Parts: sequence; C-alpha cells; structure tokens
Amino acid sequence: MSHRILIIDDEDDIREVAALSLETVAGWDVVTANSGAQGLLRAVEHLPDAVLLDVMMPGMDGPTTFREIRKNPVTAHIPVILLTAKVQSNDQRRFADLGVNAILFKPFDPLTLAQQISDALGWK
Amino acid sequence: MSTKPQPNPEPPGLAEALDRLWRQFMPQMYDRVAVLDTVVGPLATGALADAHRDAVAAAAHNLAGILGSFGLPEGTVLAREAETICSQHSEAAPAAAARVAEIAMHLRYLIESRR
Repeated sequence: MSHRILIIDDEDDIREVAALSLETVAGWDVVTANSGAQGLLRAVEHLPDAVLLDVMMPGMDGPTTFREIRKNPVTAHIPVILLTAKVQSNDQRRFADLGVNAILFKPFDPLTLAQQISDALGWK
Repeated sequence: MSTKPQPNPEPPGLAEALDRLWRQFMPQMYDRVAVLDTVVGPLATGALADAHRDAVAAAAHNLAGILGSFGLPEGTVLAREAETICSQHSEAAPAAAARVAEIAMHLRYLIESRR
C-alpha cells in the first residue's frame, strides 16, 4: 500500500523537489498543482491521502485553498499540511489557528520530507 | 505492511535527480538574485515603491524556501536576511542597501559553487 499526496505550490522548483522526494524516498504516488484553483480540481479528481499546501501563492493563497478544501464535502476529510517558509512565531500561530493538520517548513530536507509527513499525520 | 518511509540510507538516484533539478532551475535562482540587486539603489535613497519592495521580498522568500533543499542552508539564511531587510525599511537606508548587495553577491557565489 502506498500513499497519494497532492502538492499545491506555485513555485516549480519546490513542487518538483517535493515530488521527487516523496516518489523516490517513500515510493508514494504524487499529484501536483501549480495554483490553489488547480489544486481544488485535482483534490476532487484524485482524492489524495493528504495535501501539501503552499501558503503564499498568487490568486488563491494557501489559507483560502485550505478553507475551500474543507468546505467541499468530497474533500473535507483530507488531511492538509501547510508548507511555508515563514518562520516567525506570529505567522505560525496564524496558520495553526486555521485548523490545518500540520505545518512543515521550507526549506525541507528531500531525504526526510516523507518521514515528516508520516510523523505529522500519525501514519504507521 | 508499514508504509512509513525509511529515510536512510539515501535512495539510489536521489542525488543525481536533485542535481538534474538544480541544473534545470539554476537560471531561476540567478533571476531571483538579480531581483535582489534591483532594490539596492532605491533602498539606499528611500525611493523604494511598495510594489517593488513586495517583489523583492517575494524573490528573497522563494530563495529562502528552496536553497536549503538543494544543500545550501547558508543561502537560505542569507535570503531570509534579505527578505527581512526589504520588508523593514521604508526610509533611506544606505547600510541596509549595502548589506543586500553583499547578500546578493554571496548568493551568486553559493549558486555558482553548487554546480
């Protein structure tokens, strides 16, 4: 059994390094989207086991995308992990208040990203 | 069967694949550093427009978010410093401008040395 992860990030390099990491290190199935709007469509289409969601994106940002995922009964149950380069504590509190399942920080280590996701979501 | 990943040892091919991505995205890294350069003059004279400040802070933020993943943690630290500087100064700040110029030069060196 493997996990399917949806990565939503407008930055090509982040998206591709994260996808490479999860596919190569953990053998997970990865779906990607380059915007919040595209991510919502992909979430419905692929029903991933978790979403790795960038915070700062043009158009629909991460928090708005998260709320839309939760609003839709089809995707509301999917765990969402925010991925952010914001390290200040007030930003972290603001993101935690959204009700996301976890927050991970950029830059991530490609060797341990899958482990961090597993730990954050309690996957055995 | 457990699906929990075992991170060590490094999976075969990961380093090579990361190197390929680095080469693919290196021009983007240089482009972002070039955006940092554009802030030096306006920051020194207090003529930095809000939209320009936001664009430079975004470029620094993006660099901070990726360089460490490519094995350049010092680049992440420097880019974060540039992001903070650009976000904090609205008045003429020659010393801050000089620091951003230094950071941009150092980032170029780090990117070049990752080749």
